Amino acid sequence: MQLILKNLLPQFIPDVKQSEIWGNEIVVSQGEHIHIVAPSGSGKTSLIHFIYGIRDDYNGSVLINGTTVKELPAEKKAGIRQKHLSIIFQDLRLFPEETARENIEIKRRLSPYHNAEIVNKMAGRLGISHKLDQKAGTCSYGEQQRIAIIRALMQPFDFLLLDEPYSHLDEQNRQKAMELIYEECTSRNAAMIFADLKNIDFLKDEKTYYL
Amino acid sequence: MKLHAKHIRSLIRNESHLTKWIGYFGLGIGILLLLLSVQMFVNIQVLLGEEAPRKSGGFDYVSVSRQITNSNMGKDNRFTNSDLDLLRQQPEIAGVAPLYSNQFRAEATAGNVLPFSTDLFLESVNPAFLDTLPANFTWGPGQEDVPVIFSSDFLEMYNVFAPSQGLPQVSAKTISSVNIFLPCSGPMGSKTFRASIVALSDRVNSILVPESFLKWGNLHFSGDTSSPISRIYIKTKDANNPQLIKFLDAHNYHINKDKIRFGRIKGMLQNTIGAIAALGVLVILLALILFGFYLQLMIARSKENVRLLLLLGYSPNWLSKSFSSTFLPVYLTIIAICLVLASLFQQYFSHLSFGGNGPGIVLHWSTWLTAILMFLLTIIINWKMVNKEIRQLEKKP
Repeated sequence: MQLILKNLLPQFIPDVKQSEIWGNEIVVSQGEHIHIVAPSGSGKTSLIHFIYGIRDDYNGSVLINGTTVKELPAEKKAGIRQKHLSIIFQDLRLFPEETARENIEIKRRLSPYHNAEIVNKMAGRLGISHKLDQKAGTCSYGEQQRIAIIRALMQPFDFLLLDEPYSHLDEQNRQKAMELIYEECTSRNAAMIFADLKNIDFLKDEKTYYL
Repeated sequence: MKLHAKHIRSLIRNESHLTKWIGYFGLGIGILLLLLSVQMFVNIQVLLGEEAPRKSGGFDYVSVSRQITNSNMGKDNRFTNSDLDLLRQQPEIAGVAPLYSNQFRAEATAGNVLPFSTDLFLESVNPAFLDTLPANFTWGPGQEDVPVIFSSDFLEMYNVFAPSQGLPQVSAKTISSVNIFLPCSGPMGSKTFRASIVALSDRVNSILVPESFLKWGNLHFSGDTSSPISRIYIKTKDANNPQLIKFLDAHNYHINKDKIRFGRIKGMLQNTIGAIAALGVLVILLALILFGFYLQLMIARSKENVRLLLLLGYSPNWLSKSFSSTFLPVYLTIIAICLVLASLFQQYFSHLSFGGNGPGIVLHWSTWLTAILMFLLTIIINWKMVNKEIRQLEKKP
């Protein structure tokens, strides 16, 4: 599987002066680690949303395995999100009225990659075991961020999109989460597209693009 | 654990809302009205129409004559060939047979044994229209014996008045052995034949002789070759068909009242039932529209959750199916209640007046079919409405 960004240009940015991504062609193959670095307001989240097929206010095209994301019918798009593309939203997007476990299960049942027991293990590793049966809406932002990470790892994927996934984690938890994500990507031979404000020293083997 | 609609049920805000209950109630009333109409339509068909047991071979045979009114009294009211053709063209009429009548005088006497004599009218009709047709119902010139088919109604009438006239009563079996003399006369001559009753007919109210005899008599006694048509027998699937009655009325034709007595009532009842059915359909449509509003409300209230489910990769079709399936038990219950009520009604209706001969106490298959179709229709419409809402959310996450 390949992800190609072709002359991608958001319609809301009138003229792009210098960018390694906008207006260029980027090819992401499985197993690659891509790090997109950009300050706030430069379109990081937009780029992640373009790839995930949530927004289409751009020129150029995003291709997943040769198919243009913009033209994907709703059912096919759902299929890709179940099997090939996973995401950790910047704004997390959990069901606040459901428990942490239920939030994770909603994803796991849809396209199971792991069995239900793994949830406890991962929660243990990230230090949120005691929060699993609490409503997601009542968890702290940092805890919610870890729930969202575990949820994204429940399904099979070829590409994992991460939109500032560690913004509310301390250094130690960030490290643990990163290790878990690396393991999971490696076991699937999946590519990782990681958007963040600045360079992160613990990323390994990544290609860095400046937006 | 397999993915199941119940897993997302907590994310859908299916509240106890008044609109929903009014929708359910309306749906129930509408479906009940429709089922009852269908069942009543069938009941009326059974009671007054095509499946009535009085028919022979699935057809009604009725005689048509012209209505004699004050204005046409004294004119020639016999039928012409174009009248016949017009009758043949009617889709409700499966067959037409003219009845020819005698143009000479015919009498019946019992010889010297009994002091009995009466003038007769003789008619002939296409043998295909007879319910009883013995092989010896033929006549050729020179034959002294004339076979006669006698209406069983006439025999009954005769037996009623025979004792008061000092005449013997005869049974259907012995009538064939009664010797009847048939003196025929006209301006051109006279001759006495022997008549023997070869069969009784329940269908044709007349004294029938073979057509060959009637033509020969009309020619040789009266010199008549025109063979005027006095009456016409028609063969029809349903003498009570409102279209047929309308046609006959329009042409001032008279048919046996007894046979079409129910026809007019049936027409009226059918219209009434049709109106009830239309009302039922209308109520169902209104209920579904109301229900559509409720669904919109429900999805609007769960909008954020549905959007997130779509974002997580839940397929719009699967979500629509799961949403709709929430209402499946309710719809099933509504249909089941309607079927039970319709069954109770049918039992009551059946006991009311028909003592076993009328429509059965079990609902007709077409009523079941209507119930199943309504169930499917409701589910499909429901699914379509939900799907439309979800697709709109999918387009604008």
